Amino acid sequence: MKTLKILVILLIGGLAISFFSGMLEGKERNNLFAERPAPYKEKKNASAAREISTIKGYDIGDTATDFSLKNTDGSTTSLKDFKDAKGFVIIFTCNHCPYSVAYEDRIIAIDQKYKNVGYPVIAINPNNPKEYPTDSFEAMKVRAKEKGFTFPYLLDAGQKIYPQYGATKTPHVFLLQKEGKNPIVKYIGAIDDKYQDANEVKNTYLENALQALLSGEPIKQTRSTAIGCRIK
Amino acid sequence: MKWNLLIAFLILSLVSCDQRPIAKAVAIDQNGLQQALVADNEKIKVINFWATWCAPCVEELPYFEKIGASYKNQVEVILISLDDAKNITSEVQPFLENNQIRSQVLLLDDPYAAEWIPIVDQHWDGAIPVTLIISKDKKQFYNKALTYKELEDAINEFL
Repeated sequence: MKTLKILVILLIGGLAISFFSGMLEGKERNNLFAERPAPYKEKKNASAAREISTIKGYDIGDTATDFSLKNTDGSTTSLKDFKDAKGFVIIFTCNHCPYSVAYEDRIIAIDQKYKNVGYPVIAINPNNPKEYPTDSFEAMKVRAKEKGFTFPYLLDAGQKIYPQYGATKTPHVFLLQKEGKNPIVKYIGAIDDKYQDANEVKNTYLENALQALLSGEPIKQTRSTAIGCRIK
Repeated sequence: MKWNLLIAFLILSLVSCDQRPIAKAVAIDQNGLQQALVADNEKIKVINFWATWCAPCVEELPYFEKIGASYKNQVEVILISLDDAKNITSEVQPFLENNQIRSQVLLLDDPYAAEWIPIVDQHWDGAIPVTLIISKDKKQFYNKALTYKELEDAINEFL
């Protein structure tokens, strides 16, 4: 009698399991055979997605905007303040991003090497401190002092400047050269190609571009990509 | 009575939870990346580039987990970590355990990003997070962080 009862329960259980999994199967099958989007719709979706992936910003040869941003030393910095500069190494960077941190010493070295020949570094933190608390103006002051930054470290308060340049990540470099009074974009991209170790770099993109500008030769590689932290 | 309870429990456990084990991070090189990017005949591949220290990446990981669980027969989620390879056991694996990450996790151990960024997508500027959806006849690249709805809509375009 007991065996019969167990058998019945097992049978019901088995039925229930197959019923439930059947339900799942049915649902999945519905999805599998869901109507494919009509071609015109596919096209529309594709272009919408492309819009997302292309961010407007400067191209090589564009005139870069000047700005007036708060510096960690308490002053306000603009490009027009640098009367004797031949150009600028604008680097969007920040405190929180490990890639930015990895490049701090290299940014200082570039500033020290190229400031005297007319190309000072200007670092701009493009992040909203509400998104990244360690990127607050107070935290920037602390970091600038700790590392002994030799260049202005500015906050893009209100985030008006980085979208004009088309910066998307930190670090992101825009090398400018003055033509008359206008700062013209000459190189966009990375500092070099290995963030972990300055000694194992294969391509020093930014320095190559700076050297070309200094010697009046065309820049061989005007753009480069590297991993960075998305600006937010 | 005991049997009823047991069977009810068995049914519940079968139907309800995400039974995939916690992910184990596996280091790959550029070849591994190439393989990960090859379209699958059966499933849609959803490939997300992230890192444990990247706040907007960590924010969207639960959406990929949810997609991986609810579309498990149609979608394969691959999370490619760009953390430093020397942190794989000290930071990445503990992160996966603490956050109960069950999707496949690969760690791309190749610092020369300029060499492999264009392999992933020619429009990629290198900012993370970033997501790629690949089926055998379609590829879409999302150069931004996604909400759950955006991700689900994106997947539905492929189904």
